[in-house]
Amino acid sequence: MKISLNLNGEQVYADVEADSLLLDTLRDQLGLTGTKEGCGVGVCGACSVLVGGNPVSSCLYLAAMADGADVWTVEGLTASDPDLADAFVECEGMQCGICTPGQVVAAAALRRHHPGASPEEIRRWMSGNLCRCTGYGTIIEAVERYVGRD
Amino acid sequence: MAVTTGAGRLDGRDKATGATRYVADLVLPGVLHVAVVRSPLPHAEIGAVDGTAAAAAPGVVGVFTAADIGSPHFGRRVMDAPVLAVDRVRYVGEPVAAVVADTRRHAERAAALVEVEYRELPVVASAAEATAAAAPDVHDAPWDYPGAVVKQGDGPNLQSVVRHGDEDATAAALASAPVVVDAVYTTPAGHQGYLEPQGCVARVGPDGLVEVWINNKSPYRLVGQLAASLGLEPDRIVVHPVPIGGDFGGKGSPMAAPLCVSLSRLTGRPCRLVLRYSEDLSSTNPRHPTTMRVRLGADRDGRLLALRFDSLADGGAYAAFKPIASVNLHGMVEAGSPYRLPHRYIESRIAYTTTVPKGHARAPGAPQATFAVESAMDELAARLGMDPVELRRRNVLVDGDPNPDGVVWAEARGRQVLDAAVTALRPRAVPAGWRHGWGISLYDRATAPGQTSLRLRDDPDRPGVVAEVPIPETGTGNHTVVREGLARLLGLDRDLVRVVHVPTSDLPGDAGVGGSRVTASLSEAVERAAAAWAARTDREPVMVTLDAGGDSTRVTSFSAQIAQVAVDPETGQVRVLEVISALDVAEVVNPAAHRMQIDGGTAMGFGFAVLEDLRIEDGQVWAGNLGDFRMPTAHDLPQLTTVLVPGGKGVGALNVKQIGELTNVPTAAAIANAVAAATGARVRSVPVTAEAVLSAMEVAG
Repeated sequence: MKISLNLNGEQVYADVEADSLLLDTLRDQLGLTGTKEGCGVGVCGACSVLVGGNPVSSCLYLAAMADGADVWTVEGLTASDPDLADAFVECEGMQCGICTPGQVVAAAALRRHHPGASPEEIRRWMSGNLCRCTGYGTIIEAVERYVGRD
Repeated sequence: MAVTTGAGRLDGRDKATGATRYVADLVLPGVLHVAVVRSPLPHAEIGAVDGTAAAAAPGVVGVFTAADIGSPHFGRRVMDAPVLAVDRVRYVGEPVAAVVADTRRHAERAAALVEVEYRELPVVASAAEATAAAAPDVHDAPWDYPGAVVKQGDGPNLQSVVRHGDEDATAAALASAPVVVDAVYTTPAGHQGYLEPQGCVARVGPDGLVEVWINNKSPYRLVGQLAASLGLEPDRIVVHPVPIGGDFGGKGSPMAAPLCVSLSRLTGRPCRLVLRYSEDLSSTNPRHPTTMRVRLGADRDGRLLALRFDSLADGGAYAAFKPIASVNLHGMVEAGSPYRLPHRYIESRIAYTTTVPKGHARAPGAPQATFAVESAMDELAARLGMDPVELRRRNVLVDGDPNPDGVVWAEARGRQVLDAAVTALRPRAVPAGWRHGWGISLYDRATAPGQTSLRLRDDPDRPGVVAEVPIPETGTGNHTVVREGLARLLGLDRDLVRVVHVPTSDLPGDAGVGGSRVTASLSEAVERAAAAWAARTDREPVMVTLDAGGDSTRVTSFSAQIAQVAVDPETGQVRVLEVISALDVAEVVNPAAHRMQIDGGTAMGFGFAVLEDLRIEDGQVWAGNLGDFRMPTAHDLPQLTTVLVPGGKGVGALNVKQIGELTNVPTAAAIANAVAAATGARVRSVPVTAEAVLSAMEVAG
């Protein structure tokens, strides 16, 4: 079936099967490989994207369900808001980087939904995104910096 | 403290914007996708394999078994792992056949259509079963595999045995010791927990040139392993540079490379296999589950007299995933190393079982051995009526002391880190009715440079230098270390130092990421390269090579951790409130990366201590997805407090000590010791769950 997405602010079309995942559609058909497949079962958060402004695990989200929706990936979010990537770069909120796109998308969603989030709320919100490298300290600081910005 | 601030990461922006291309992100023209048909049984003979329906499925190019690819085996030392199973499967998840198709979806759908007949064989589910008299053989003649270290008659199902030290003298010292602790400790299988699954793309050209893109951290070693496995000339194999999405010890084996190369040879097209995470959990190379008996003797003043350490680890179906010459785990053979021990005897056995093969995980063997020995130290302190910190202070190496292997370190700063950890401790309040306790644990680990190479050339695009490195960036910041070192030594702005990871054909060699040697190796290579660069009389590139072992002094670092816990005596629930890490450091090249190695290591140690378990039962990994494995989230972690004890004497021009494997090792014993301090109950297994604490409390009365 044909679907249309408003992807990172641009209208795009994709030809998908009924059970195609949004993750595979973004990566394989639309060439946006910033979104990563980690656990594949919605646990690790590496595949996070925004659909209709809400963070979803694109490994569990059917492409067909996103038909007609606004979809934002790490590429679009960081291109449209330089502060987002800057916060992670300045705080060095990454090591291997495989979870980083998901962390960045989660940070964008947090600022959208809870602009004045407390440190405790930030930790809770970000606990949907696993990281094995960093111990989370620099990631949380990056998110605090980003959320604290106007 | 001598710290360079603001080094920054050279890979930060690409990673934050999703621009970094990992192996799963590469698209090669004409690439075919591989799906693996895996064994559903822990041990069976393979009968007929019927790929007819799969071959007829949409998009399928071919269905292949061991018969098609010539039954090659591979290994890092012992070449006992079949690329596809030959006649017999030895673990749930073992590759039996491969389906190659135009898309991943087509390959995976067709793989489900392959019919395999099995005749079940007896399951050998644990190392204890494997080494019992009359145990079924996992391999008919394991001593015949190339690289095998066991001999016929060594005992049933052994991958390796290391006997280290003087057994008789240790036994005599224990027999006459006034106080002896004798206890058994166990640890489970654990996945390294990298979030990027193992993956590979291979292309065999019409001229026979083999090109490989893979998340493997030892690409030069991989060239040799592939050549040995597939009968290729090493100079006809190129491993291309790819960043790695997390390693923690798990990304050093050939994994899918021999299969993808074999399939590309057969199909004439590039072949790609990226594992699904559930496959990665059940069929790669997790940490060895281990049972350890510790006998630790002391006099009544708390002076250690002797340690006997016997470990039995479950090596799984194949020994292929262990790289060191002994085919054992160095952490086992270093049990008790922070201390003056007049007598030490270690026997470390690793057994074949019909479970997923085991490999290296961050400080291989050391989290297990340190959990056992550092728990035993507290049990000894209790027997002596002595403060556990004082017991360690009395016995830890000081400058000039030989360690149990006779090594005299350039400096031994164990007391300093013990004192720093204790000084940082501020007891915290616990909920009403809960009990509070804290525990300590100690570890030391050497910093030793290894083989590497580095080339400097003029940057054609700007007035700077290009540094070609042989080693992948696994996330630790090793490329940033090269940039920072060269900028400093050449007096260049760091933006004028461009670090490029080059294919294996472009530099002579490297030992790969591991052994906490990378910053030290690169530090020495950078020092030599900068000197050669400054001395050059023309514009030719400068290349330096560093041999294994290097020429540095004997450097070690001590790490002391204190865990503070609250325990609910009604349920056994443990809340870890804080982990303090006091660390022996020299210079810190990049403070943020250094901190992440510390915090990330502690988080991993915390996961090992209280959460994670692959749960291998009856030959099957029961943690079917990453949620079942329970890695810590940001919200799970306790307060992580770090105290750097600066001023250490390190390695190379950058004066560095390793950090990456200092903090994941001592955590479990610190937490178990804290639980014992809070409740009087001794948990001798990890993870330290509420159930384990409650039953230990019942034992303790």
